[in-house]
Amino acid sequence: MSNESAREGLDRRRFLKVVGIGGAGAAVVSGCSTAQVEKLVPYMVQSEDQVPGVPTWYASTCTECAAGCGLHVKTREGRAIKLEGNPAHPVNAGALCAHGQSALQGLYNPGRLQGPMARQADGSFTAVTWDEAIATLAAKLQAAGGKLAVISGAGRGTFTDLFQGWTAAQGGKFARYSAFSFEPLRAANQMTFGTPEVPHYDLARARYILSFGADFLDGSWLSPVETQRGFAESHGYRDGAMAKHVMFAPRMSLTGMNADEWHPPRPGSEAAIALAMANVLLTERGGNPADANALRGVLGPWTPERAQEESGVGAEIIRRVAREFASASPGLALAGGASGQHRSAVQTAAAVNLLNYVAGSVGQTVRFGADLDTGDGYGALLALLETVDRGEAQVAIVHEANPAYTLPRTAGFAAKFAKAGFKVSTSLVLDETAALCDLLLPNHHALERWDDSRPRRGVQGLMQPVMEPVFKTMATGDVLLKVAQKAGGALAQFTAPSYEAHLKAQWLKQLGTDAAWRQALANGGVYGDAPAAPVRLAASAAGAGFTAPAFDGDASPEAFYLLPTASVYGDGRFANRPWLLELSDPVTRITWHSWAELNPETAKRLDVREGEIVQLTSPHGTVEAPVYIFPGLHPEVVAVPLGLGHTSYGDWATGRGVNPLDLLGASDGQGFLPYLATRVTLTKTGRYKQVAKTEGTTRQLGRGIADAMTFAQAKQGMTPALAAAAEGHAHHEVNTEREVEAIEGFDAAQREARRHGEYANDHPMWGMVIDLARCTGCSSCITACYAENNIPFVGEADILRGREMTWMRIERYWEGGEDGEPLEARVVPMLCQHCDNAPCEPVCPVYAAYHTHDGLNGQVYNRCVGTRYCANNCPYKVRYYNWYAYTKTAFPEPLNLQLNPEVTVRARGVMEKCTFCVQRIRAAQHTARLEDRTLRDGDVVTACAQACPSGAIVFGNMKDPASRVTQAQGNHRGYHILEDLNVRPAVTYLAKVLHRVEA
Amino acid sequence: MAAIAHESNHPTQTHHEVTRDVVNTLGTAGTGYFLLLAGAVGLFLVGVVTFVFLLKDGLGLAGYNPPAFWSVYITTFVFWVGIGHAGTLISAILFLFRSPWRTAVYRATEAMTVFAVMTAGLFPIIHIGRQWFFYWLLPYPNQRWLWPNFKSPLVWDVFAISTYLTVSTTFLCVGLVPDIAAARDMMKGWRSKVYGVFSLGWKGTQHQWQHYSRAYLYLAALATPLVLSVHSVVSWDFAMSIVPGWHGTIFAPYFVAGAIYSGVGMVFTLMIPLRKALKLEHMITEYHFDNLSKLTLLTGSILFYAYAMEYFIGWYSNNTYEQTAFWRRAFGPMWWGGWTMIICNAFVSQLFWFKKVRTNLTALFIISIFINIGMWFERYVIIASSLANDFLPYAWSQMRPTWADWGILAGSFGWFGMWFLLFARTFPVVAIQEIKEQIPMPRLRKGGH
Repeated sequence: MSNESAREGLDRRRFLKVVGIGGAGAAVVSGCSTAQVEKLVPYMVQSEDQVPGVPTWYASTCTECAAGCGLHVKTREGRAIKLEGNPAHPVNAGALCAHGQSALQGLYNPGRLQGPMARQADGSFTAVTWDEAIATLAAKLQAAGGKLAVISGAGRGTFTDLFQGWTAAQGGKFARYSAFSFEPLRAANQMTFGTPEVPHYDLARARYILSFGADFLDGSWLSPVETQRGFAESHGYRDGAMAKHVMFAPRMSLTGMNADEWHPPRPGSEAAIALAMANVLLTERGGNPADANALRGVLGPWTPERAQEESGVGAEIIRRVAREFASASPGLALAGGASGQHRSAVQTAAAVNLLNYVAGSVGQTVRFGADLDTGDGYGALLALLETVDRGEAQVAIVHEANPAYTLPRTAGFAAKFAKAGFKVSTSLVLDETAALCDLLLPNHHALERWDDSRPRRGVQGLMQPVMEPVFKTMATGDVLLKVAQKAGGALAQFTAPSYEAHLKAQWLKQLGTDAAWRQALANGGVYGDAPAAPVRLAASAAGAGFTAPAFDGDASPEAFYLLPTASVYGDGRFANRPWLLELSDPVTRITWHSWAELNPETAKRLDVREGEIVQLTSPHGTVEAPVYIFPGLHPEVVAVPLGLGHTSYGDWATGRGVNPLDLLGASDGQGFLPYLATRVTLTKTGRYKQVAKTEGTTRQLGRGIADAMTFAQAKQGMTPALAAAAEGHAHHEVNTEREVEAIEGFDAAQREARRHGEYANDHPMWGMVIDLARCTGCSSCITACYAENNIPFVGEADILRGREMTWMRIERYWEGGEDGEPLEARVVPMLCQHCDNAPCEPVCPVYAAYHTHDGLNGQVYNRCVGTRYCANNCPYKVRYYNWYAYTKTAFPEPLNLQLNPEVTVRARGVMEKCTFCVQRIRAAQHTARLEDRTLRDGDVVTACAQACPSGAIVFGNMKDPASRVTQAQGNHRGYHILEDLNVRPAVTYLAKVLHRVEA
Repeated sequence: MAAIAHESNHPTQTHHEVTRDVVNTLGTAGTGYFLLLAGAVGLFLVGVVTFVFLLKDGLGLAGYNPPAFWSVYITTFVFWVGIGHAGTLISAILFLFRSPWRTAVYRATEAMTVFAVMTAGLFPIIHIGRQWFFYWLLPYPNQRWLWPNFKSPLVWDVFAISTYLTVSTTFLCVGLVPDIAAARDMMKGWRSKVYGVFSLGWKGTQHQWQHYSRAYLYLAALATPLVLSVHSVVSWDFAMSIVPGWHGTIFAPYFVAGAIYSGVGMVFTLMIPLRKALKLEHMITEYHFDNLSKLTLLTGSILFYAYAMEYFIGWYSNNTYEQTAFWRRAFGPMWWGGWTMIICNAFVSQLFWFKKVRTNLTALFIISIFINIGMWFERYVIIASSLANDFLPYAWSQMRPTWADWGILAGSFGWFGMWFLLFARTFPVVAIQEIKEQIPMPRLRKGGH
């Protein structure tokens, strides 16, 4: 222990200090900060707001992407242990995506830099003090004489204002850049509407959603939580209504999997389809906006037949979808995003703008005025890099950006950046860019510092330190101010004593009073509506059109279009977090490594099998990855996920997988990085690698696991069984008539018995309803479950043996896709069903598995000896076994600080499983008891239900007839998975509803 | 008629010759024996080392691929329990039925039973996740008044195995007493003293024989139901669950037949080399092997029927889970295991319709190896294949055993072999007194004086 604590871990002394500070500094529900206290403060007098064993919550803002979701940070004894969405926040309304949840693993990442470091003459980094580091930077800046270049990935906010002002005061150049910055959308909006802003897309109101290559549900598209929330709102079946979603994209991404129809066009040709649809609307429908008629000339030539020629999607499909789109008002067509970023991406976005405009969606579901933050874009970064390349930067500072990784190698970032005299990084980890720098000034994590964020107009989020910093880092805002004081000169104007003071001063200008400031802190910010900024068609809209985009590389038919996809790892920033590395990709269910997707027919033609390592070669480079055969892919495309293949990003990310950017050329002056612009040749290497996927078989085999029904059937109030019968799939009754009779009799007897005995009385009976019409398979619930329940990751080797510990998993099944039937994806979240007749319970020889009075399947970890009989007998396969001492390997210091003290950390050799978050149930019961009241519906929210952006999960007391869960169980779409087994699960699923094309 | 038929198989030695020949097998052994023993101990040590690794790092070292939470260890457990059954059948049931052909082989098979159950008994401990808490499965008094769950087949298992071990050990020891006394009388020096202690003062008086025969009869009666019950209980480990491919009423008789089949197979494997090594060919003759083969034919045919019925029920049930499980057992990723089991057990046993096969010891030995392999695979297929393809296709997987599986399997053979070898050189492997009982009165021997 003493050896280990010599490292920057958490020894006992430090732990007490954290506790003491938490107690001394924090105020009631996010009142103020954990101010820096230098002394160890024991609990001589108990702080009012810090009760050991009782969590303290702080409001904050998520910085994992530009969306700026509101957070509630749960801290226990001075450490952040769980992130939840802020229900009052207009962007995420209480939900949080997997990326946001994983911020804790960013905070406690063992790969974080532990303090400032400077490069020595021999090229290595050595630790320096903050005073030295600041003095060095100040001296370099003084010497630079304004020759300063700054690349910042920070979103809009007080910090960016300060940083820009600080840079400008010295005459330096500043570019705000992060990957996936939607430059084509802005360019297209400039062209068609005369404004470069990214509008707010209101999916919730849309009655028909068209996606032209926009992977808006894949976690990296504009504001992921809000988008998904809106999608579930409109596309989730309710009261006989639901929107339809049609996607045109070469790959069935998670967005495509959630589409009612998915049509793969030739890569890059979506614009032709959008133009043709706009044309159909314009010619066939009255009531178009008056000025839309000006587009007749532009759209006229774009008949569905011509679009078919360009895209390969049938003219009749285009015409039908266009008519459906016209008849559903308001509709919404979407474009943009990395996977659709080809050389005609601006044309696509412009064509989609015209379609929205003609359909009258602009102003309805496309609302300008919000001005979503997307940074300055790729063009600005390249311009800045040019100045660096010309040697015009004595000092270069990179903040919250990693261009050495997120730019293709062909962009030559490293060579150009090397020409800066003195390079500084504020990165939290030694990423690829930081590794090129001379001075490392690691920033505080967002949960350790004061900050704010303005993701769009009307939304101002605040961040406050929720805990003592894990390492000896310093908020970059403070660094800037300290450097300014040291350097003087042009920087002397920055006189704020600390960044906190600066931030508060800025906010007080707007808020006026201290009380209002405190209120804003408690709320996590100040929220209002964005003022609408109606747009009209710009004259330049006439420039819309479509020219097939150019592709680099081999044009021969043997080559493939390379489609880099944004997966769980985002632009690469999430690749150092085990929660996300182990989170199976929602589409392919692959974990921990890169893969190359191939269409089954293509794979057959090339005679490659899953796991065969292929080499992809473009004019710019080669990468090797094992093949994954994926039916939802255009046959001429090979898709590779972005975000892996780091060369320096902490132990988990470095050397893991490959980076498809290595195959790409740099931009060709369009102002954005064309991800989908390369053709690659594919050669077999003859080597194999077992693909670390979490799925066994991809088909349901008619077992009714993920049930679905058509919209018409849902409107008639059909049950899943009736709907299946209507489709000609009679319900397959597994039991004989006499068995059914026996089961029914047994069931009745059990129900009768429950009215007496120990299950009677006022015990609640917990149950869950999962609405598959709302669930998109995004996997937020899984990461939330990992965070809440101290679930260890097991690593790639054990994933290959199917030993993942995901208490909650998403099962993904394919339907159709053969014999000309359209491919349909079904997802079903699978967790312990807390069966009434649980097969796991009677087989346990030591009563480790037992039934609680409130209807839970309990599991006593201390009693479990690990016979694993329960897991064999569990038909849902939701019991997970500790084959090794995973908790010893999965929480290296300081990652262990995240562990939830309310949940046992399981030992080797015991079985574990979903508990319905029993710790939350008990906490709510305790609270109710203290307040001398009964539990109310909604008092208990499981971690998965809390996180779900779609609101697909409802939890509650099944004995309360008024509870939401009881109401939802009564839904005609309700069914139990494997109902024939008579295990009487407590989880009810509501069948998915699909708009099927009428034959 | 029957008497004449029996007569022709009567031993032809004198009482003294029997004692001499059997006792000659005891005492100092040759190099070959020690090499074999070293091999067995070596294998056992492989198992010990593997177990140490399992204790240190966890069961993850073995090739478990969830949803198959059981694999090689439980397979080997059932295999060894099954092996034991032939011994009890031969020594107890055939004793009660007064089958004369059991006398020459029963001692060795009974020893095999005890050692097989001793081997099997290790597996429930090896296979659990927290081996150091194995005693929680026992109903021992404790301050928390915490009992094991008597609903769980695993607890039944604990009772079945411990009862079986107790009864079969007692039965073996009691049967040994007169023979140890006979050996004592032939021995000299310290050996005589040691055997003297273990003969428990046996003098062969009328009084002792009277009590001895009664005791032996009662123990045989006590052991008899265990032949049927122990493996039925073991089969309920599977049949009581809801796993498709396990959940079948046919399991108890099916497993009992399989157990005896595998046990007799192991008897062949052990006895054929043993009789040669110990020069007991004149006592353990083709006649005995012929009868054992007929027993194998019977149980093998029951297995044949059970296999056919399993598939038939799977099909006839119209239960999609059962159908899939059996389809995949025959044509799925583990088809080779499924067919190994069917060929080695159902088909190979049918060779015993031919007397030439039944009396050809070389053929018997080779067939017995197939039987051992087939019966191990039967359990492996039932366990691994059924678990790997149950209700939710998304969770399906396949077993991939590792060195830790094979290490423990090898160790179990080493452990069993070690005990058996030690026994064969220390105790009479042929029941001296029962052979003597079979020897006709002198007047019948040479056509009369």
